Amino acid sequence: MLLTFTGRPVLAGNVTGVAVVSHGGFNTYASFFASIHEPSGVAICADSGNADLYGRDLAGKVICLPSSTGSTSGGAVWQRLIEMGNAPRALLFSQAIDSLAAGGLIVADLWAGKRIVVVDRLGDAFLETVAHGDEIRIRDDGEVVIRRTVAPEVRAASHRRGPGP
Amino acid sequence: MAPDAAQAANIRLTPKEEAVLAGGEGPVLQKVMRTVVQYGEALGAERLVDIIGDGHLVIAYAIPGIAPSLEMLEELVAAGLRTKYPFTLDPRPPLDYDNWALDPRQVAVLDGAYRDQARYEDLLLQLGARDADAYTCRPFLEEVGNTPKSGDILAWSESACVVYANSVLGARTNRNGAIMDLLCNIAGKAPLSGLLEDGARRATWRIDVKTADLPLPQLLGAAIGRRVLADVPLVGGLDRFLSADLDAPTRDYLSEMGAACATAGAVGLFHVEGVTPEAVAQGRDVLAADHRAYVIDDDVLADLVASYPVLWRDKDARPEKCYLGCPHISLEQIDWWARSLSAALRARRQARIQVPTTLCAAPQTLARLAAAGGARRDLEAAGVMLSAGCPMQLFDNDLAAGSAIITNSTKLRTYTNARFFPDRRIVEILVGGEI
Repeated sequence: MLLTFTGRPVLAGNVTGVAVVSHGGFNTYASFFASIHEPSGVAICADSGNADLYGRDLAGKVICLPSSTGSTSGGAVWQRLIEMGNAPRALLFSQAIDSLAAGGLIVADLWAGKRIVVVDRLGDAFLETVAHGDEIRIRDDGEVVIRRTVAPEVRAASHRRGPGP
Repeated sequence: MAPDAAQAANIRLTPKEEAVLAGGEGPVLQKVMRTVVQYGEALGAERLVDIIGDGHLVIAYAIPGIAPSLEMLEELVAAGLRTKYPFTLDPRPPLDYDNWALDPRQVAVLDGAYRDQARYEDLLLQLGARDADAYTCRPFLEEVGNTPKSGDILAWSESACVVYANSVLGARTNRNGAIMDLLCNIAGKAPLSGLLEDGARRATWRIDVKTADLPLPQLLGAAIGRRVLADVPLVGGLDRFLSADLDAPTRDYLSEMGAACATAGAVGLFHVEGVTPEAVAQGRDVLAADHRAYVIDDDVLADLVASYPVLWRDKDARPEKCYLGCPHISLEQIDWWARSLSAALRARRQARIQVPTTLCAAPQTLARLAAAGGARRDLEAAGVMLSAGCPMQLFDNDLAAGSAIITNSTKLRTYTNARFFPDRRIVEILVGGEI
């Protein structure tokens, strides 16, 4: 099954990756504060308030979210994750990108020198459609293709990691 | 690398801004300006506006990932850059170990994590930090003195400060993240977008508070933030309890509520009907025509508390520590704790509380408290420790994971394994020593 959505490329790029989906606001600092100290190769979501993502490894993933929330400390997280090698590959926002995420991701892009691809304004239908484990292909013009090879329920269960730190 | 579509957006720059962007004032300021311009494009800004007023920045910690690296600050300092206006910062890390009853392993971890803190703070002073004591998350308290005026254009960070500056003081700032906050203030520019514009300051939610009594601000704020996320709410039903002259109890209430709704969601501005300045000035016009509605009653707040997981290793443990003052509390709030704890201890004919407790406030507030005497004597006699630090920084290492910590802050709860209890329950727990 292939489904295509189009958004606005904020930090454009051609990448592919596996989706993780936060249906509620994504609290950047709460999700990553445990993952920014020692290089570990993983970034286990530590936000106990995020039932969708708590305990999942977000490193190298395509995070699908409505917008980001929480402490403005979250702005510095992205640059650090890039430098440590456990950043997500891309962020796909259903809404217009919020100022906290935009600032942090643009600073990381210009000052850390490695890009996390960002597309925003993909629409509510995108977030209602995409599921954990979907394969995502992002084009630099903002086109996002969802490729589903495994039923989302099964995929979600097998993909789930244990409780977070 | 493909060009970003956002870079083709139509942000109009002044000739001066264009010159900086072209490198006319050196490569580092050029990079700063490029970052701010691209930020503006992502936010759909038509142009940049001049910042007028002191800054407040979240980047108080010499830990990359929470704040800029030393190398980045050194690059900015070496280029001779400095913010146009001075800035205050979030509280210092809890390196005043005696006030936190830390064990030697925690001290060793913090010593290691913050080995660069002194150098980091020195660089911040060179970049425009107001003074060596400019570290608190309540900068707008009178004794601290970073109190923006209505209409001031700012580029603040620290979600609790942003929401207060916008909502209670009528200043205008977006929720800027760490590092971008510093770069905007160095450039002296903020993108004209979001909460800097009239349109985005109108409420798109009407929240009706129908609780029997004045709800705990920490819970009300969390309930609002969880529902409205980044939107602007108009909160009705609080003018029964709060005053439009923004007296000290009202300011304290709105500080706590704002911190909670900025953490549970991404609220950068709220209006309180009959209380906050834009709600008073505009009346019903502050509410957008196509707003949504949400009722918060006692059941909603009870459900919210019930939804908080207990993240202690031993869920039945006796509490090991208690942290109060996230965000930093005022003299009046400190006085409430002093009176409440003293009364509860007297009632039990007990001298000291049974849970090691640290209460956090601004350095300037603690200095006033020391001068005033009474409340400080009561707190010290009860065994309460006082600090100008931030408890959150105790939790970013494995040693605190799972430990039995209690707090009255839904913000601290969100970022740590601390368990939330209402103020009055905390008084009982501290005196009795158990949940």
